[in-house]
Amino acid sequence: MEPVESQTRSESAVAESSSRPAETSSASPVRTERRRKPRTWETPPAPVPPPHLDDYKHIVGAAEIDELHFLARELKGKTVKMVNSTAVGGGVAEMLNHLVPLLNEVEVNTHWDVITGGNDFFEVTKAFHNALQGGEYNLTQHARDIFLMNNEQNRQRIQFNEDFIVIHDPQPAPLIRARQESHQRWIWRCHIDLSSPNSEVWGFLRPSVEKYDAAIFSSQSFARQLPIPQYLFYPCIDPLSEKNKDIDDSFVQQVCDEFGIDRSRPIVTQVSRFDRAKDPVGVIQAFKQARKYVDFQLVMAGGGATDDPEGVAVLKEVREAAGDDPDIIILDLPPWCALEINALQRASTIIVQKSVREGFGLTVTEALWKGKPTIAGAVGGIPNQIIHKLTGALVHSVDGCAYQMRYLLTHPDFARQLGQNGREHVKENFLMTTNVRRWLLLLRILQSGAN
Amino acid sequence: MTSSAMAPTPLHMPVKAFYFNTSAHLVRISREKAGTLSEFLQALRECPEGSIFQHSFRTLQEHHFIREGFSNDFAHWALSACNEPSLAEGLASVDVREFTSVAQLRERFVQIVEGFLKRTPAAVNRAAKETFYFCASDIMVIPTSFVAHTLQEFAEGLRGVSVHSIHHHFIEARLRLKLMSNDFSQWLYEDLGLTDAACQLNRIDIYTVTMEDVRKQIIRVVERALS
Repeated sequence: MEPVESQTRSESAVAESSSRPAETSSASPVRTERRRKPRTWETPPAPVPPPHLDDYKHIVGAAEIDELHFLARELKGKTVKMVNSTAVGGGVAEMLNHLVPLLNEVEVNTHWDVITGGNDFFEVTKAFHNALQGGEYNLTQHARDIFLMNNEQNRQRIQFNEDFIVIHDPQPAPLIRARQESHQRWIWRCHIDLSSPNSEVWGFLRPSVEKYDAAIFSSQSFARQLPIPQYLFYPCIDPLSEKNKDIDDSFVQQVCDEFGIDRSRPIVTQVSRFDRAKDPVGVIQAFKQARKYVDFQLVMAGGGATDDPEGVAVLKEVREAAGDDPDIIILDLPPWCALEINALQRASTIIVQKSVREGFGLTVTEALWKGKPTIAGAVGGIPNQIIHKLTGALVHSVDGCAYQMRYLLTHPDFARQLGQNGREHVKENFLMTTNVRRWLLLLRILQSGAN
Repeated sequence: MTSSAMAPTPLHMPVKAFYFNTSAHLVRISREKAGTLSEFLQALRECPEGSIFQHSFRTLQEHHFIREGFSNDFAHWALSACNEPSLAEGLASVDVREFTSVAQLRERFVQIVEGFLKRTPAAVNRAAKETFYFCASDIMVIPTSFVAHTLQEFAEGLRGVSVHSIHHHFIEARLRLKLMSNDFSQWLYEDLGLTDAACQLNRIDIYTVTMEDVRKQIIRVVERALS
């Protein structure tokens, strides 16, 4: 074999449940003590500094990290610019916050710019975002003008001198007009589902997209037919983040105690915004069906009910569906409760994500990473993560969800195997280190094309 | 690998060092997709060779942690989306190690689907529950820090490299070598004259164990040769 050239959280967090009549609560002695006021922070905790590549060695192995350094060797000194539409909040900004320092660590000089615009621009881009994911929308000339004018202002404001320019999502897609140098490679990273876009909006954006050297999608099913190469980059989770890092079991116990969750009995949990796309009422119906045969608690942990009118309505529906059942624990948590979510997921016997519409479904990734047997709707990017009966269970209905709850709760060995496979699947495909590997590989491939 | 009465070199003194490499794959989304078995057959015939590689050799690597029940993406789709267990069984029984070219492998998959559709005409245009999206791999071979000049160093390299490197040398290699063998066996045989060890590696069953188990079995064979 020859060598190769290196080619506080807030008081708004409330655990809810009606108290069960005394005569029916004898099965669990802790029930009368539950629903104390949960411990939560008043304000978001300070951000944690991003990790270094070596911090991941104990998770993915030294060989994997060494491979990243080898892969980056031919890219040393190359420059990359990432451009997106927001510096804080949302999955893209969260991902870039981790990716950019890691690329810099392997000496691929990466900068991150954020486009600016007025309220009118972001209203148009929000409408585009929804329309591109299948929503109805009437594209007016005024909206086109606002969109293009704001992009032109950003084109004039931002310097594009790097070797690789990566534009995230549709908002800044027309920045491709800034392309000047022939050696430059421009990449469009689309984080949304374009499988059934509004034809008018897609028709407006498509000519810009076709000018890029490559496009990236989060699932095969999200892509469009385009004359440029299209790559598959799964979204990823950071195993060292607050949401996913290993935590002490005493903290898990503390969170359960504070939320009135009895760890001596099985726990099934769905972590999701209170949104109809996540079918929280369907989860409660499945719980009620399954509980006829097996004793367990259901935790519905979510948020979004404070600032979203639909969230408020959905939370009301969830409460009504739960009725006075003391084994249904509804938690409306603020967005900075990552550690508590982590603890709830780790305390769970099974995790459910019974979505009826979904993007990639990173809550499924989080559940699988924690080695939990996971039941999820077969929509969006979830089938990329759950191979039915191998890394989890895919369901298409309330009945199917109820059956899988019963089956997995009564077949713990099989459930454990699903959990183990699921964790390995995430380790192989959906971790931040895999994301770095994909980026380095793509830059290498495009660089060889440029040369 | 065939046994030979003439061992090329003395034991444990290789002529050439073994350089452990690995391959990094980037998945490209292809144009072909299938919503029925007839569309699937047509796409199987027309898709680039990189797609056949991706959905057989490469997917085995992506799912290296699964002991049973997963062979290739085609078989999985036939079962989960088309509910055709006999077709799935046929597709799953295709062992990538029996092929030294992707063209031969494609031909085998095509034969299986053609045969099934002839026997089961009702299945030809039945809509699958989910579309099959063909993908392909862009591959880049990269070095690792492991080099073996002796059998002892070879064992250390086997322990230290990633499972991607094991897959690269042990499974993908036959497409490069155009031989029913792998890089490890070739080195053990050609450079160390360890004919038995080389043959034993070729008998490891990759479909009933994880890639980590494969690594352990390879190391056991090498350790036996060392002792």
